[in-house]
Amino acid sequence: MTGIIGNYEMSLLTMVGITVTFALSLNLITGLCGQISLGHAAFYGAGAYAAAMLTKAGVPFALALLAAAAVAAAIGLVVGLASLRVRHDFLAITTMGVGFLFIGIVRQQDALGGTMGISSIPDPGLGKAGFMALCLASAGVVALFSLYVKRSWMGYAFDSIADDEDTARIVGINVPAYKLAAFAIGTGIAGVAGGLYAHNVGIIDPDSFGFIESITVLAMVVIGGNGSVWGVTVAAVMLSMLPHWFQFIDNYKLLVYGGLVFAVMRFSPGGLAGLFAGGLERLRRARMPS
Amino acid sequence: MKFRAAKIAAIALAGVIVAAGSSFAETVKIGFNAPLTGFAAADGKSALNGALLAVEQANAKGGIKGVKIELVYYDDGASPKNSVPVANKLIEKDQVVVGISGSYSGATRAAAGVYQKAGVPYISAYAIHPDITRTGNYVFRTSFVGEVQGRAGAKLIGAMLGKKRVVMITLKNDFGKSLAAGFKEKAAAYGITIVNEYEYSIKDRQFGPIVAKVKADKPTAIYASGYFFTAGPLVSQLRAAGITAVIVGQEGYDSEKFIKIAGKASEGVIITTSLDRDSKSPETANFIAAFEKKTGAKADMVAASAHTAVKVMVAAMRQAGTTDRAAIRDAIAKIRITASTGVISFNALGEVRKDVQVQVVRGGAFRHHSVISDAKLLAPPSK
Amino acid sequence: MLAFELFVQGLVQGSIYALIAVGLTLVYGLLRILHVAHAGLFTLGGYCGVLVANATGSFLLALLVAMVVVGLAGMAMYRLCYQPILDKPPYVALILSIGLFIAMEELFRLIFGPYGLTFDAPALQGRLEILGINLKHAEWATMAGAVIVLGVLALLASRTRLGIAWRATVTVPQMAESFGINIIQVRYVNFFIGSALAGAAGVMVALANLQVEPTMGSVPSYKALAIIVLGGLGNVRGTLIAALALGVIESYGTIYLGKILERDAIAFAFLIVVLMVRPHGLFAKAGG
Repeated sequence: MTGIIGNYEMSLLTMVGITVTFALSLNLITGLCGQISLGHAAFYGAGAYAAAMLTKAGVPFALALLAAAAVAAAIGLVVGLASLRVRHDFLAITTMGVGFLFIGIVRQQDALGGTMGISSIPDPGLGKAGFMALCLASAGVVALFSLYVKRSWMGYAFDSIADDEDTARIVGINVPAYKLAAFAIGTGIAGVAGGLYAHNVGIIDPDSFGFIESITVLAMVVIGGNGSVWGVTVAAVMLSMLPHWFQFIDNYKLLVYGGLVFAVMRFSPGGLAGLFAGGLERLRRARMPS
Repeated sequence: MKFRAAKIAAIALAGVIVAAGSSFAETVKIGFNAPLTGFAAADGKSALNGALLAVEQANAKGGIKGVKIELVYYDDGASPKNSVPVANKLIEKDQVVVGISGSYSGATRAAAGVYQKAGVPYISAYAIHPDITRTGNYVFRTSFVGEVQGRAGAKLIGAMLGKKRVVMITLKNDFGKSLAAGFKEKAAAYGITIVNEYEYSIKDRQFGPIVAKVKADKPTAIYASGYFFTAGPLVSQLRAAGITAVIVGQEGYDSEKFIKIAGKASEGVIITTSLDRDSKSPETANFIAAFEKKTGAKADMVAASAHTAVKVMVAAMRQAGTTDRAAIRDAIAKIRITASTGVISFNALGEVRKDVQVQVVRGGAFRHHSVISDAKLLAPPSK
Repeated sequence: MLAFELFVQGLVQGSIYALIAVGLTLVYGLLRILHVAHAGLFTLGGYCGVLVANATGSFLLALLVAMVVVGLAGMAMYRLCYQPILDKPPYVALILSIGLFIAMEELFRLIFGPYGLTFDAPALQGRLEILGINLKHAEWATMAGAVIVLGVLALLASRTRLGIAWRATVTVPQMAESFGINIIQVRYVNFFIGSALAGAAGVMVALANLQVEPTMGSVPSYKALAIIVLGGLGNVRGTLIAALALGVIESYGTIYLGKILERDAIAFAFLIVVLMVRPHGLFAKAGG
């Protein structure tokens, strides 16, 4: 196996696993539950910092990851509380503010490494292949979990909240509880992804978790098609692999990325899932006897 | 039967041709990472041009034992998030023999870890964070460690210019903070009182509040760190507010664009750097002329540093005479060569030992002011 | 006196924010779209201004050309990018706008290079002292411009037929149409004015920074969002006040809170606090 897949391919697959986990975590909040978050990278970062500082202090890797989830979810719960107060565009901007606040605070704390961040994060000891397997597995688990949630009562509640919050309330759904659940779970998973990321790259700095990062992961969710697990997965893989595929467009990769995001929203706002569903629909209609 | 034999012969022939062809097409690859997009793109482009020029010149002189040198470069956006995959790609996919960083400290530090682990020699052209060389014995740096330059700044202001009342304006990143640390370390030794220190972010271009506060502080000198795109507006705004204290900067200012942006306000600004525009050294003069010829823009410190790094690397590879990375690493450690930014030789940690050039802006250009060669003061860390 | 100086500096910075944010709030008030690409138009204005000023030597001409060009670009942006997706959920427009903004920033870098462009002879550099406040001509012009323009717009919105038509288009579009108000025209005018003002802001900022860079719009792209929320989405007068207030808060914040919190974080900390207390912004009434 390792003969076919070289070190470089393994590092790519590892990154894919982490990115898909991260994207699916936002999908729970924004795709399934309809709460727009423009600051999701803050939870990714919180998890990364928590895990990094713990393993540097000697805590075993698995425990550190759990702690990362807990820290991120705790902050996520606070933001979730804010979502009970503000909605839609105001929520979008509030979450954006949370993202900036996170970086702003971390950059000033020397205990967290200040602007230079944390380096020499210890190796989790799983070997390159083992770590890659872990990251891919985490993506798989989160995907399965998301599919399960979609079919469950929670998924139904999320869907109604995303559709029309006020009606959901009238129908008897405990909207605040479900919103908080979405935030807590989504941010907790993001924290795990962050912990994995920190141990993959070995060095983390506050600027890796900024507005651009938040926008990128939101783009993955929206391009994938809000809520669609496979759509978001494909989008996440595509967008993170984009710079690596085309060497010759290295100078143009941001332009392509921005253009792609723009084009998808302009011409297929349902994202990849929408495209596929639309295509299926046309196929079905074409096959039906007229 | 006959067809089968013919097929095997054809495949064998093809195999021979491919093998022969690939040995003819071989080049020696040097990996290079620099910020070509994002907020640091200006410096990244300069560094890339400096490196490309050095490769061109080396190839003109026969490359490395007749084999052409190829610079394989990727954008890292000055972020460790990108520099690590880029380093992986260069080492695994592009099979570079050695690597050079034309990027900022954060990205360089992250990439250095990858290079050290893979046993590939890596030179940091201008990233100044001290931890970079501490990554391991395969990592070197051809520019000053931040602290060393900061110390030189303290001597410059306190002893050479005789100003004792200083306000510090510090850029809030690795670059600015290590300079500030070095300055503060030696300030007292030269009788300097630091009245206040203000910090700003790399995105800031409007310094109204800081300027107003500095005016109230009434310093006799200002030690301000930054890059030309922040220092230009800062210096202009300080002078426009009527502040006449001498302003001392560092190599981040070292670009004609600084003078262009600040205009008349740049007159009299003094900087510590590695590039002496008035240098009589043929290396420096040739580089400055060749760079302007190639790119149409005047050389700056970042370009000179990248040029130097490539030059050192090529010289080491020629001396080692092989693509064996361990041998190249040893050659780098022992090297002593004159480049545009001075005489380069490394200590045990991989840090360079050289004089600090002090330049002043006079008549709209950087001119020679003085040189600081205090070996003890400028001693880089050795572990 | 230092405290007063800091206050004045805050007003200058706030005026720039106001010029940028007003276009954003006009668009939101009309279409409920968070038009992040507005910051790209801001940068476009800066480039137009520098290029024309260097080519013709006249700053006034540069300012006018920048405003017209950017105004037209804004209208085109509406027609090509936003109009077709008005019936989609609001996050579509937001993400589209962000993608567009990133693409614009990159185009600027690819076309004009990563280095900043500078004015050959920056205008309005002289200084003028009024009532003990000593500022550059450019800074006086910016402040005056912001207050006058936004004041006029606020007045127009509440006192004139045009303003009433505008507000009708926002609140009851079908009825407005049946009254003979040309909705499309109102939207085009809206985008033109808002974008032209952003273009003007771009020129003034380029003048203040003495350079125009491709990434010039990145900070305004998100900061303006915070400002229009604070001011009450769609509320021009509120936006002016919020912009000036933020400028002043940042001014004191960078000096006295600098060790705890970064400049941008200060803006958002302020925003979050306000939103928790008043979830619809400081001045929630639209169209005022």
